[in-house]
Amino acid sequence: MLLSCTWLSELLGRPLDVSPPFRADDPFSAVNIAARLTNLGLEVEGIEYFELPKIIVGRVDEVTPHPDASKLNIVQLFDGARTIQVVCGASNLPPVGGKVAFAPVGAVLPDGLELSERELRGVVSNGMICSETELRIGSDGEGILVLPREWEPGALLQDLVPGIRDAVIEISVTPNRPDALGHLGVARDLALALGCELTLPAVPVPVPDTAKAMPELVTLEAGDRCPRYLGYALEDCSVGASPLWLRVRLHRVGLRARNNVVDVTNLVLFETGQPMHAFDRQRLDGERVVVRTATAGEPITTLDGIKLELSDDDLVIADAKAPQALAGVMGGEGSMVGEGTTRLLLEVAFFEPRAIRRSARRYALRTDSSHRFERQVDFAGQLELAAARAVSLLHQISGARCVAYCDAQAKLPVPAPITLDPDHVGRLLGMDIAADEIARILQGLGVTLDQSNAQAWRCEPPSFRPDLGRNVDLIEEVMRHHGLDELPARHSSSPEELMVLPEDPVRRLADALTDGLRANDLHEHVSLAFTAEDQAMLFASEAEPPRSPDDFQPTQLVRPVNPMRLQQGCMRPHLLPGLLDAVAYNLGRHTRALGLFEVGRVYLWPLTSDQAAEPTGPTAEIDRCLPTEPYRAAAIRAQRASGSAPAGELARAVTRDLSAALARVGLHAQLRAPAQPRTWLHPGVQVGLWIGDRQVGVAGELHPDLLAARDLSEHELGYGELWLEALPPLPTVQFADVARFPGTTRDLSLDLDQRISSAAVLAALTSAAADSGSSTDDPPRLANADEPRRPIELIEDYRGAGVEAGRHALLLRLNYRAGQRSVTDAEVQALHDKVVAGALEQLTRVDPAARVR
Amino acid sequence: MAADATASPQEQLDAALLAFESALPQVSSETQLYDLQVQFLGKNGAVTKLRSLMGKVPPAQRKELGQAFNRVKQAIDEGLAGRKLALAQAARELDLSRHVDLTFVPDPPRPGTLHPITQTRRELEQVFRRLGFDVVDGPHVEAELYSFDKLNIQPDHPARDMQDTFFIARPEHDPREGAPSLVLRPHTSPVQARTMLRYGAPVRIIAPGTTFRRDDDPTHSPMFHQIEGLYVDRNVTMADLKATLYRFVGAFFGEGLAVRFRPSYFPFVEPGAEFDMQCAFCFDGQVSHGCGLCKQSGWIELGGSGMVHPAVLEQCGIDPTVYTGWAFGFGIDRMAMLRHGISHLRHNFEGDLRVLEQFTSP
Repeated sequence: MLLSCTWLSELLGRPLDVSPPFRADDPFSAVNIAARLTNLGLEVEGIEYFELPKIIVGRVDEVTPHPDASKLNIVQLFDGARTIQVVCGASNLPPVGGKVAFAPVGAVLPDGLELSERELRGVVSNGMICSETELRIGSDGEGILVLPREWEPGALLQDLVPGIRDAVIEISVTPNRPDALGHLGVARDLALALGCELTLPAVPVPVPDTAKAMPELVTLEAGDRCPRYLGYALEDCSVGASPLWLRVRLHRVGLRARNNVVDVTNLVLFETGQPMHAFDRQRLDGERVVVRTATAGEPITTLDGIKLELSDDDLVIADAKAPQALAGVMGGEGSMVGEGTTRLLLEVAFFEPRAIRRSARRYALRTDSSHRFERQVDFAGQLELAAARAVSLLHQISGARCVAYCDAQAKLPVPAPITLDPDHVGRLLGMDIAADEIARILQGLGVTLDQSNAQAWRCEPPSFRPDLGRNVDLIEEVMRHHGLDELPARHSSSPEELMVLPEDPVRRLADALTDGLRANDLHEHVSLAFTAEDQAMLFASEAEPPRSPDDFQPTQLVRPVNPMRLQQGCMRPHLLPGLLDAVAYNLGRHTRALGLFEVGRVYLWPLTSDQAAEPTGPTAEIDRCLPTEPYRAAAIRAQRASGSAPAGELARAVTRDLSAALARVGLHAQLRAPAQPRTWLHPGVQVGLWIGDRQVGVAGELHPDLLAARDLSEHELGYGELWLEALPPLPTVQFADVARFPGTTRDLSLDLDQRISSAAVLAALTSAAADSGSSTDDPPRLANADEPRRPIELIEDYRGAGVEAGRHALLLRLNYRAGQRSVTDAEVQALHDKVVAGALEQLTRVDPAARVR
Repeated sequence: MAADATASPQEQLDAALLAFESALPQVSSETQLYDLQVQFLGKNGAVTKLRSLMGKVPPAQRKELGQAFNRVKQAIDEGLAGRKLALAQAARELDLSRHVDLTFVPDPPRPGTLHPITQTRRELEQVFRRLGFDVVDGPHVEAELYSFDKLNIQPDHPARDMQDTFFIARPEHDPREGAPSLVLRPHTSPVQARTMLRYGAPVRIIAPGTTFRRDDDPTHSPMFHQIEGLYVDRNVTMADLKATLYRFVGAFFGEGLAVRFRPSYFPFVEPGAEFDMQCAFCFDGQVSHGCGLCKQSGWIELGGSGMVHPAVLEQCGIDPTVYTGWAFGFGIDRMAMLRHGISHLRHNFEGDLRVLEQFTSP
């Protein structure tokens, strides 16, 4: 909201210094007023200074057409001392004797233009006759500004019109302060802060005694939606342009002048915060208004020509037939005041705030009126003051006479008195504030105090402060005005035991995996949690029931009702799209290989059949209705493809990244085929990460189709992810004694179909070893080697000469040792033979040609 | 060297010694030295073999010959030992004469990095844990009830406009009549409501996390990160809030930075205030002189705060006549940008390697 300091100074009953901020020591300078406002909770966004130091009143003494330009005139202008020749192109030049705003040579216009003598088609012009827009005192740029004939030539314009010289302060008003949406409310705060007397707006011409009460003027049908409606019937109105001071004032607070009637209502709106509306009474069917709710579908055309179909939740001001205004939001075109209007019906009302807000939102019509009504205006004193002020100004400016009125009332709000213990103020803030000071502040703000009980003051807040409802609201007022500069930084003693809240294990795990992935030279990326629908659908499956934790069906996608753009149409069900976006972003800008990771949540509605963990506690009822938000930890590596078909190098690297991150938290993943192949990974280059019989993640090379769709076919991409909800709780390490006796090894070379993975071979050997237990006390077993710490090492996966096409040779080293003794060659050889035989028996079931090389 | 069979044993010994002494200087390695030792003193060595001559000399000369033999052997042993030492010294000299340029090493592998938002969030958590706060988070898709109503933000109230909120549609497969209306939480405040409902008072937490608002411009992202603090107990005051913020600012940005409040409005607190800290980036230990980051004001706006509104305490099952509390909140993203001098919000979420790799951390 824009505040005119000139306007404020009238309400504060003393001048304010509105020149640019040189007078920092003057408490009444605009800068210091602004600082005050910020400290009062009315945060200042900026200050703008206006002045027109050299613009004077000029008298038109002679007008002759320009000899060489049909649209220009040569004007002989009297500036109070001498006659000056000026060329002017305006079509609304007044006749001889008329007054205009004149910028002589040497004057500087607000846009920075300094006027100098210049020639216009051969005729010298010594200055310029100005328009409102050129002077930045109005929005009428159609022609020059014509001044009243009675003004003295040579007078400085800014001395004649208050508000030309001004400082305008922009404040942001929080929703709890409807009173500060008018200059009066701000002035009330300032008066108390600065120690001035608040001067209420003048009402020089009160509603005349001859005006009669006319109950039929207003029919209040919807009293619950409009507890009070003041209607005034005015006659003999002469609609025209407003006087310059009024136009300047509206311009300073950002409004456009319309006509004197509308301008008066806007002026009073910005003065008191009370919106009002003037109808052309002549055009109201029955010359009266009905305050009622609309019937569904009822049409109205607003002032600005928008046709609306109303809802039965809308409040309207209708005439005998049809809605003439969307109450509190905007007037209707049909009864708009315009040229030729002579009879007015002026509305000054109090509407129920919430309903106004609903209507304004429904049609996206945010107006100065609705903005104030939905924050709640005064229903008593200030409403009456605003009405009287408007009637008085209308009479002064448009000649309108009030002939009748109607004060229609329903059930008005009854502000409840608040009990305040003055000691409570200091107890809550943690600083001492004297009772006198508290009383001074509250009374200064219009609160009526009954201090007969010293520990329980009875405080009646004024009706223009609907935000004051509890004692803490009063404490806030005291705090605002007393200031917080003296507030000490002091801890209160805590008499009770604070309990230590349990930590969320998933959050901890997420942090640990974040550290784990980061340790692998990967860079953490944070992507927006939204994705495009088509990107999300890439990961949907129809598997029912789901075969792995990352399976989801299309209906499980979580969608905002009001996304900002199509590409953010749903919440991500998967981390890959966000990481792919980042990869594409990078690959489009540089040629470096890159590795990124992200640990974050994905969003899915549970299937009704899901056996999700039943929520507990006081929030359970809500929690049952929420989507699930499981965490994923994903890594991606990308580089320009080398030309030959990729050997899965990046897919391997990512698999290793994930395994390493798990190892860092004490979990050891086995690699084997995923429970279900992922369609978005290369069918031949993907692997599951398993812990026990649970798949906890998947990794592989991105499917070529996916790369093609993203225009990334020139690149090789490895991607993998872990599903945190599938991970077991982090184990507490159980110490195992260090092996003190040497072990021994046996090498084994197998010839196998290439589709038999090393993981399958390892599994076969391990299970064969487990099955070949010996009856002795401390038999040799397959056991960890010293380095690497693994029972079976994969030495080489060989394809090429000596191995048939489609097959590979796996060279393995098996480590054997006993617990408390050295092993003998013979017993190890016996065990090894059994292990190999047992494993081959399993492997030949899937590959009959499997053999030892 | 063939032994001259006609020479006397003494002569043969002398010849052997002479041969050894002429061979010794040619030895340039331990292996050669060993070979030389074998050649003279080995089982079939030239000197060893001369022992057999003992039997061929008259007994009277045996003693003399034995002594001569020992002298020769000793001389060879000494020669060998001396040569061995010399060789070792030469080897050491040679080793010490090596010069390697250790200023020329391959570039170290580039370390992985944590996102500046993660780093900042963790450091904030650390500081507040030290100050005695528990860390709590909650769902991102949240009931309107916890996001607004329980926080004293009533339906159809203009305070709802203070944040433009994403609403979430119920799924087709489970429309569930009468289910609560859901939003993407526009602040982490629902975590406060949930924590109070679940644990009651006294309670002291911070709630860092991801939040969403329908804003997208150079200074707003539809997804961002917030941290909020809440302390509810008997006799909790605004002065206590100031003390906590002061200690936080001291621990996070540096000792001695002042904190100030400016009255403001947030529906869930009353009284409410914005809090600023003295600008840490132009602070000389006493005064902040003004810089680009604080727009020459010497103060940096951090966030909102205030005393928990009694209506919020009531809504969350806490008796406001017994307990009071305070709450504060601010943006993590902006804090991260301030600390690291990140020039533009978009760097936070684009995933540019050249941006991310800069944020190394311990």
